[in-house]
Amino acid sequence: MSNSHMLRPGSYYFQGNEACIEGAIMAGSRVYAGYPITPATEVMEAAARRFPQVGGRFIQMEDEISSACLLIGASWGGAKALTGTSSPGFSLMQEAISFGIISETPFVIVDVQRPGPGQGYITSGQEDVMQARWGHHGEGSLIALAPSSVQEMFDFTILAFNYAEQWRTPVILLADETVGHMRKRLKIPPLGEINIVNRKKPQEMGIRPEDYLPFGGSEVPLMANWGEGYNVNVVGLVHQPDGHVTRYSPELDYQCIDRKLRKIEDNVDKIAKIDTRFMADIEHLIICYGTPSRTALEAVMEAREEKGVPIGYLRLITLWPFPEGMLRKLIPQVDTIFVPEMNLGMMMHPIREALRDKAKRFVSIPSMGTLHSPDLILSKIYEELRK
Amino acid sequence: MKHPMLKYMKETGPCGDRLPTILCPGCGAGQVLNYTLHAVDQIIKEDKIAKERFLFISGIGCSSRLTTHYLNFDSAWTLHGRAPAVATGALLANPEFKIILFTGDGDVGAIGGNHFIHVCRRNLDMTILCMNNALYGMTGGQVAPTTPRGDYTTTTPYGNVENSFVLCKLAEVAGASYVARWTTAHPQQAIRSIKHGIRKKGTSFIEILSQCPVHAKKSAVEILRSYKTKTVKAKNAEKGDNRIPIGEFLDIEQPEWFESFQKIIDSFASEERKDQNE
Amino acid sequence: MKRYEIRIAGFGGQGVVTIGRILGTTISMYEGKNSVNTQSYGPESRGGACRSEVVISDGEIFYPRVRMADILVALSQVALDTYIADLKKGGILIVDPGAVESVPDRKDITIFRVPTMEIAQKVGGVKFQNMIALGALSTQMDWVSQASFERGISEGVPSKTITVNLEAFRKGREYGKNQSEKRKG
Repeated sequence: MSNSHMLRPGSYYFQGNEACIEGAIMAGSRVYAGYPITPATEVMEAAARRFPQVGGRFIQMEDEISSACLLIGASWGGAKALTGTSSPGFSLMQEAISFGIISETPFVIVDVQRPGPGQGYITSGQEDVMQARWGHHGEGSLIALAPSSVQEMFDFTILAFNYAEQWRTPVILLADETVGHMRKRLKIPPLGEINIVNRKKPQEMGIRPEDYLPFGGSEVPLMANWGEGYNVNVVGLVHQPDGHVTRYSPELDYQCIDRKLRKIEDNVDKIAKIDTRFMADIEHLIICYGTPSRTALEAVMEAREEKGVPIGYLRLITLWPFPEGMLRKLIPQVDTIFVPEMNLGMMMHPIREALRDKAKRFVSIPSMGTLHSPDLILSKIYEELRK
Repeated sequence: MKHPMLKYMKETGPCGDRLPTILCPGCGAGQVLNYTLHAVDQIIKEDKIAKERFLFISGIGCSSRLTTHYLNFDSAWTLHGRAPAVATGALLANPEFKIILFTGDGDVGAIGGNHFIHVCRRNLDMTILCMNNALYGMTGGQVAPTTPRGDYTTTTPYGNVENSFVLCKLAEVAGASYVARWTTAHPQQAIRSIKHGIRKKGTSFIEILSQCPVHAKKSAVEILRSYKTKTVKAKNAEKGDNRIPIGEFLDIEQPEWFESFQKIIDSFASEERKDQNE
Repeated sequence: MKRYEIRIAGFGGQGVVTIGRILGTTISMYEGKNSVNTQSYGPESRGGACRSEVVISDGEIFYPRVRMADILVALSQVALDTYIADLKKGGILIVDPGAVESVPDRKDITIFRVPTMEIAQKVGGVKFQNMIALGALSTQMDWVSQASFERGISEGVPSKTITVNLEAFRKGREYGKNQSEKRKG
């Protein structure tokens, strides 16, 4: 791993998409595969320039399907691997995500979301937030993060890899065109100050190949890689803890898949990250995520300062696993919960389900294809308060 | 007396016996597995290459069932058609792997067609073993891109009206370095070919005509006989010979992906050394 | 400085995104202030509406886009028509009279007519009009040094084109200064 081309600690003016690649390099990622798609192409082009400089390998694949499948091979081959795409390409990656879930393969997908469905357009969107959790066929969960700044494109890519390695799961970074193309000063800390998590290996625990269980043995199974003498068998069918796929039974199916689901969902308190401000004595609340959180914060501060509205601010940093318990603890009884989204109301569903008894009204604030302006959010808040 | 290749296979596991394989009686895939293991065995002994470097990757289909379940090697049983992409990923993580892809004519010729083309075009170092039974066996005998015109299958009950894909020609045109076709009735040639393909840097595509007696509705013996009588060594074929050509069609030297890409990585490393010396 | 908002708009291919980026870099990296630079454009490489925005603050910037611009640079009629209403009272409009037929009648703003395309022809071609515009714009931002701007340009364009881009910037700045002098006099 060459270090001289890693960025020295300091400030740099980067686009969000580029900051993502610097984060990946910091996290130790050295394999990138991708396919061009607006507005994510800059992620790939940054990888093409930077990965060889740090001793990594880059390849432009023939489509998004193979890009995502490549991550599976790279991960089991021992590398931290990622790909960047946008919404239509994300649809094509669901098959690989599904395989990644059942085989518990760590890798990172950056989805710089754009409006849909279909080709939609090339501006900003948050229309994949449900697809990230439910788009793969079959059961099982995964982790998804929503960055809202250039700094977070850097920080959350490192966090995404850490989560992928720690929980042996695919992790989705749900960005959008605004934060992907936004330019701002990025602060890069010294490498020694960055927390980096690597997969736990059976060699470290003194477990011999004949005793190694690639899909069992602990809540998050240890991960040996190909080429280490462990005869690792990676499979996509329902399996025993040792990877064996015969003797299928409904009981085996339940045990096999339930553990994989629980691995993520039962650990939501360790995984979920939430940011709150102005939560004291509130009568209303904005719950937001991703780039619209910036607008929401601007709107909340203005409503409080200029009109004295007792409204609080809560940002979901992790969208999945959905932190129902944490939300219920943090949120008091309120009158109205506002949810601004660059879609017609998607996260509103788990929010309403989790907090049904905590608020009298749930109000969606949609903005399609573009970032919410403070006036849009404020006018909706004032309109509802007049009722 | 134990079969000499059993040392590479999982005879038993915690859930009972893994052998015999699930393959139907008379299936050609078992023969191909045998030939492959012989080739690998010889390479391990002759070239002194560690067994840990071998990696078997498969897609979906009867031929793809032979990796994770039966082999005592690192392996992956992946997605239909996507094995070339997964293999590419493994190589990107570690170019030292010696990768053998087990695939079928449907897996590599239909859903995997695009990925197959680009692996060949990139000339990535792997050996693709395509077991061609000219139909989709696992799912009950449907038509495949390689099914001959006029053949009857479950989805061409009135006869196939499409051309049959010549996968070897596709591999050649796409950019592979080594292309060969044999049949399960040519064990020695197949073993030599597979050995050469694994040793050779770049993409090796070896198509093995492999019998599916169940769906071809013929006995294995009948089909194996036809593999002898209805094929002709390509170099011996005369114009107008309608028999299926077999043999080595292409064996060239050309830049392999990792060798080329490594030069780019090295150029930055040498820049670094220059900086340090200044 | 709480929030200072600059919007540059025109057609794709005029270099709108480039000067927004250089402006943002200059302010963030060489002037020690916070700035966020966003842009929007259509899928076409040429033509199509194009807009670049820079929001500047001494403190943290939350909403990253322009709410009400302090300065609007309009390099096409469509850009001018679209964004004139979002220019603050007391704001500054920089417009290329060669690119627009009519300038809306607003008495509460200061209007600078800078023939960027015409001046650019003298430097090396119309493709440098964006640097002329940046030069003129820089005269309205006297809290950013010329040296900072020129450093931003030098590091933000291909090395072979640094000299000509700097020349275009300086010509635009000179024109902008003359315009300001005329107003005062």
